[in-house]
Amino acid sequence: MKIVIELSVNGDSYEVAVEPQTTLTECLRDHLGLMGTKEACGTGECGSCTVWADGRPILSCLVLAADCQQMEITTIEGYPGHGTIKVLQQKFQEKGAVQCGFCTSGMILTSAALLKKNSRPTEDEIRKALEGNLCRCTGYNKIFQAVQAASEQLSGESVEEAAK
Amino acid sequence: MRLPRFELKQPESLNDAAELLYRYGSSAGLAAGGTDLFPRLKYRLAAPDVVVSLRRIPVGQPVEDPEGYLIIDALMKLADMGRSEIIQRNAPLLVEAAHWIGSSQIRNMATLGGNVCLETRCMYFNQSHDFQFVEPCFKRGGDLCYLMPKGRKCWAVCMADTAPALVCLDARIELTNGDGTRRVPFADLFTGNSVKPIDVGPTDVVTRVLIPTSSAIRGWGFMKSSPRGGLEFATVNLAVLLEMLDDRETCSNARITVGAVSASPQRAHKAEELLKGQKLSTDLFVAAAQAAAEEIRPVPRPDYSRSYLKECVKILCRDSLTMARGKI
Repeated sequence: MKIVIELSVNGDSYEVAVEPQTTLTECLRDHLGLMGTKEACGTGECGSCTVWADGRPILSCLVLAADCQQMEITTIEGYPGHGTIKVLQQKFQEKGAVQCGFCTSGMILTSAALLKKNSRPTEDEIRKALEGNLCRCTGYNKIFQAVQAASEQLSGESVEEAAK
Repeated sequence: MRLPRFELKQPESLNDAAELLYRYGSSAGLAAGGTDLFPRLKYRLAAPDVVVSLRRIPVGQPVEDPEGYLIIDALMKLADMGRSEIIQRNAPLLVEAAHWIGSSQIRNMATLGGNVCLETRCMYFNQSHDFQFVEPCFKRGGDLCYLMPKGRKCWAVCMADTAPALVCLDARIELTNGDGTRRVPFADLFTGNSVKPIDVGPTDVVTRVLIPTSSAIRGWGFMKSSPRGGLEFATVNLAVLLEMLDDRETCSNARITVGAVSASPQRAHKAEELLKGQKLSTDLFVAAAQAAAEEIRPVPRPDYSRSYLKECVKILCRDSLTMARGKI
């Protein structure tokens, strides 16, 4: 039997009738038409379904839509973080960190959450933050470079300069 | 992958949750963070009629109570534990163990209570339903084991990363059901039976985790070995807690616990005895690591032979002890 839930996604309120077992990914894609959130493994192994719940990255494939009613959900369409996402998108393009693009929305949301918490991450911190996002195309190095470049642009100076 | 059909209950308090479990019994599944239950539901390894979601229940803040315990709400998210100053101060070992679980997204969802109750895993059992039409194994209600073809029991392994840390810290688990509340030492919860790894009944809810606070000078270490280094269940994980005398060089008490090698975490008692009353040195650590590797009985898995796992225990034990000495 369907239940009616209220969701707050990217600042807009939605009232959706879903089955109780509908996950947030299915709700976003099938009911709200927000196709930026991808589902690959569906079991929490790949991170391509990452969205923000109250400003923190979570896996939307492992959370029920009905459990998200009190949360503020932000997807890749929401441009969260005052331009951080835009800079990340730009740097991902410049560094060639996007190939098939399936993991990219999850990568960008996770790295934006990292940059919000830590504006000057080291490579190890970037690796640790992105451990839950799998990419089968780029070999990760270009992604790490893109995040590093974005952090440099956002904080206005390069890491080497900061070290001096 | 789609979830199977179920009825969803969203209680607002732990008492309501315990009542719901009492009513539905073993036909109910408990989802706190959902990162352990939902993948199993998607693989059709479990099929509860009712899912009781605990996400609406408010999470209590960690407190130090006068009886000498640090009390952590079982619904506390793993990522939040690192942000809590009071847990950092009293149980840095637990924070470190939680830091190595899953990925940043998973740590933002998964709860401490969920990790305490983590289901045992094995290469055969945690597979999609492609395998479901062959003869079921012990864990699926059958009577054979695919990992150990001559095995007379299930050999699935408890992979919880907080388990060795909680055993080292001598944690108590508070369980609530319809009849009341009880506190059980964490190490006693383990049954050793992989089919039902921990002694938590279908009507029990893990409500709080209690960790004895200590004023002793302590050093701690936690190491996890896994093929990828992140977003992986452990090959072997190992926690060390050293209590020191006032001179900061002599060990008065030691606890070494190895996880992810069998259905329950194993203490390395002989290695602990070697350390007690001794001045810490690299040679002592090597000897203790050797003793731990000889004592621990790991369950071999398809990619890891028994001798490889023992070697892993040896190296992790030596490195964790070195790490612990650095933290004193």
